[in-house]
Amino acid sequence: MISDLWSRVKFFFTGKRRREVDEEIAFHLERQVETNVAAGMAAAEARRQAMIAFGSRERAREACREERPSWGVESLWRDVRYGIRGLLRNPGFATVAVLTLALAIGLNTTIFSLLDQALMRALPVANPEQLVVLSFAGDHPGHTHSDGGNSPGHAHEFSYPMVRDLRDRNTVLSGLIAAASAEVGVTWNNHAESVGAEMVTGNYFQVLGVQSAAGRLFVASDETAPGANPLAVLSFDYWKTHLAEAPVEGKTLLVNGAPFTITGVTAPGFHSMVWGRTPEIFVPITEQKVVEPAWDYLNDHQSYWLDVVGRVRDGVTPAQASASLNGLWLSLRMAEFTSLHDQSSKARKDFIAAAHLNVDAGAKGFSPLRGDVEMPLTIMMAMVLLVIAMAVVNVASLLLVRAAGRAQEFAVRYALGATSGQVLRQLLAEGLLLGGCGAAIGLLLAPEALRLLIRRMSGDSPGGLPFTPTLDWRVLAFTLGITVLASLVFSLAPMAQFQNPRLAEAMKERGGSGGGRSLQFRRSCVALQIGFTLLLLVGAGLFVRTIENLRSVDPGFATDHLLEFGLDPEMAGYGATQVAPVEQRALDAIAALPGVRGVGATNDSDLAGNGIQGDVNASGYTPKPDEDFDVELPWVSSGYLQALGVPLVAGRYFNPGDTATSQKVAVVNEKFAQHYYGNARGALGHVVSRPNKTGTEATIVGVVRDVKHESVRDPAMPTCYTLIAQAPKPAGLTFYVRTWQPPDTATNSIRATIANIDNKLIVGKLRTLTEEIDENLTAERAIATLAMVFGGLAAVLAGIGLYGILAYSTAQRTREIGIRMALGAQRGMVVRLIVRETMLLAGGAVVVTIPLAMLATQAVRSQLFGVSIADPMVYGAGIVVICLVAGLAGFVPARRAATVDPARALRTD
Amino acid sequence: MPPSSDLLQGTLDMLILKTIAIEPEHGWAIAQRIQQVSNDVLSIGQGSLYPALHRLEYKGWIRAQWGASENNRRARFYSLTAAGRRQLNAELENWDRLTGAVNLVLARI
Repeated sequence: MISDLWSRVKFFFTGKRRREVDEEIAFHLERQVETNVAAGMAAAEARRQAMIAFGSRERAREACREERPSWGVESLWRDVRYGIRGLLRNPGFATVAVLTLALAIGLNTTIFSLLDQALMRALPVANPEQLVVLSFAGDHPGHTHSDGGNSPGHAHEFSYPMVRDLRDRNTVLSGLIAAASAEVGVTWNNHAESVGAEMVTGNYFQVLGVQSAAGRLFVASDETAPGANPLAVLSFDYWKTHLAEAPVEGKTLLVNGAPFTITGVTAPGFHSMVWGRTPEIFVPITEQKVVEPAWDYLNDHQSYWLDVVGRVRDGVTPAQASASLNGLWLSLRMAEFTSLHDQSSKARKDFIAAAHLNVDAGAKGFSPLRGDVEMPLTIMMAMVLLVIAMAVVNVASLLLVRAAGRAQEFAVRYALGATSGQVLRQLLAEGLLLGGCGAAIGLLLAPEALRLLIRRMSGDSPGGLPFTPTLDWRVLAFTLGITVLASLVFSLAPMAQFQNPRLAEAMKERGGSGGGRSLQFRRSCVALQIGFTLLLLVGAGLFVRTIENLRSVDPGFATDHLLEFGLDPEMAGYGATQVAPVEQRALDAIAALPGVRGVGATNDSDLAGNGIQGDVNASGYTPKPDEDFDVELPWVSSGYLQALGVPLVAGRYFNPGDTATSQKVAVVNEKFAQHYYGNARGALGHVVSRPNKTGTEATIVGVVRDVKHESVRDPAMPTCYTLIAQAPKPAGLTFYVRTWQPPDTATNSIRATIANIDNKLIVGKLRTLTEEIDENLTAERAIATLAMVFGGLAAVLAGIGLYGILAYSTAQRTREIGIRMALGAQRGMVVRLIVRETMLLAGGAVVVTIPLAMLATQAVRSQLFGVSIADPMVYGAGIVVICLVAGLAGFVPARRAATVDPARALRTD
Repeated sequence: MPPSSDLLQGTLDMLILKTIAIEPEHGWAIAQRIQQVSNDVLSIGQGSLYPALHRLEYKGWIRAQWGASENNRRARFYSLTAAGRRQLNAELENWDRLTGAVNLVLARI
């Protein structure tokens, strides 16, 4: 058996030696000659007869060779060698084709890699397919701290007591872990900075199966009691970039001013159980009070803040896990319900009867970011697929031109006995060769392109995006697939011409021309290219308009010369009572800087994509039954509204006379006043408060104009501003500084001012509000830039294609034009002929593409802002570009045609 | 010239396997044997004998060895391998079924 296999393997590589075959055949002939002689023939005749009986020896040898197992590979290799020779003979064509393909394949690989990482790749942990993500449906009264990613019926945040009960009492999970993210101030070597942190359960790394790169990671016993586990694990990237891979085990660093002992460093590649989070430091969940001093979540059943992931035990099906966990969870909910304030039957129904625990497959991890990047990435993918379609069409038409020149070569091959199959194989080998070269170069370029794109997209957000510029097997498989598919399409296109060749005609043909059918095919190619170009140009136009619109949206206050930065004294270790005074000192010091027109601060930063919302009780207003009306609830400093420049409508702004001890006051916006009191004046003097929170009653003293808050895309929310000085607890603030000075100068003096107060204070993200808005448009800008680049590229390709067609068909018609001119046609008429052909081609393509473009852009509607998908400006601009390209492409052939000398033209051919 | 019948490729393979089932033979002898036994009805085109032998060898059904021929010259002798014997049995069975079925049809219609 083994020797059998071995001989087969041997045969594959060596086959049988030619000499052996020859010897065998020679022996056969000898025996035949002997037999013939024995039968009475003369020697010469005997040999002749033997030869006749055997037939062609060369043919027999050839047939033996063809039986070799490796014959297929050999002949493929022959085709490839032939293909290489053919391409080398025509290096210009080969270079253009390979580069076009390399660009297209490289782009596809790049974008697909992002798509793969965001939407398909499993978390880099042990056996990710066993992971489940927990979320729930049902009422959750109290405080929810969410990073987003929730949908109706899928709230992803759980309370810590619930997590503990679920973890300790379930029977179907081999482990259950929870985590929440936060920003903290970390001081290492007397240098303080704000970094992303993740609070994790003690068993987090064990259950995920994450290894350490140095020291040890947390274990279950590192999660004991609140405040009892001041330990830290560093992420590999942070350790590498900020601590220079120094030995850190057992060393101490400060987290929000408190000492934490470093136990170890995570293995490279791991970021978090939540895809998209890139924490630099991990701390046990029991240290929540240090991470977020303003909050006390650990013992609160009504604080929902933890994302939860479980690992299903071996042999437990998802259905069993879900059923078992649901039973446990509902019983826990029932126990929890008895302690709730509202015991009505409706509350009971919302809290228990309508509740359900979702146990979803979690190999890829839960991710709020995934939903945000899905659409932009899909759009980019669609664009690069268009680009590769363009490239395929382009290479196909190049190959067709080349094939036309090879009509004779193929005719000769047919005449020598090649079958259609062999010719087809030859064409395929050439196509795959081109595709393979393109893919190889594309793959070389892709990681660099990825790195560039990731850097552009992540801006300067902390920790960056969770993308890495590496290609995994899935990306490589995709590249291989798309390469083979593209190669098949463009290499088979010329086949149409050679399938059933009329040999005689082909032989007669003098090369260089492809006949009517080929011209028709090339026309279709150019029409397709024009169509693709228009599609890309329309896409680019829509996104450019979107960005213009978003950037020019008036948020209700001027964003120029407005600087913002974050300041959270708690990150520097300030205790609860020290926070407000140091913030006030910062406000006063900045206000005193030269060139500063105004300064204010809020705990609810503007146009940053988030908000702080809740419901309020408003005196003199009776809520409708089941009314669920949330308002924006920022705490602001007394100068905030003036610094931003929010216009006053009625009453007064906050002023320095409103202090911690004076009467509590509020300022509301017009939407708020409108909803609760019908008009601005009516709101003044009324009292607003938070339900179930005593001491939050504040009197409305002013009404201001509505301004945008979460983002420039979203309309203004009803808003109730209250004073930080009168707030129940301290908070980290975002400062807004309106200045006369150029941003750079102001930036430096602000940093100096804060450092002057206390150099431990961390100034976070100091920049202009315009920059902030721009950063929130990164995805749109990336799409617009790519679409413009691709659109421009497509226009050039289409222009070249169009020029080729026109030049060729004009040359073909030299004789016709000559006759027409000899018969008295004016040059203008000749030009009109060419223009007509151009317009028919380009115009036809445009007319067909416009409805398609409208259909395609329908899908990206949600990403657009303030521009209709049928925006006439965008389409007009696209068509103008096409006309320009067509005009340029038609100009040269038209001129040449118009200068045809009738006498000469008639003599040609 | 003896009348020649076209042989199906599979049939030729079976005949070769059967011919060398008893003892190893060289190519010329295989062709002669088949021709004789079939009363000169089956004459194997020489051009197809050797490719067939090579094919069978590559498939691992027969094995070739150099040896001395009946007139004491170097010749390649082909013999069945274990896999070849299994293949022969399978093909014989298949052949019986096929010819039986064809005969049945011819007899009944």
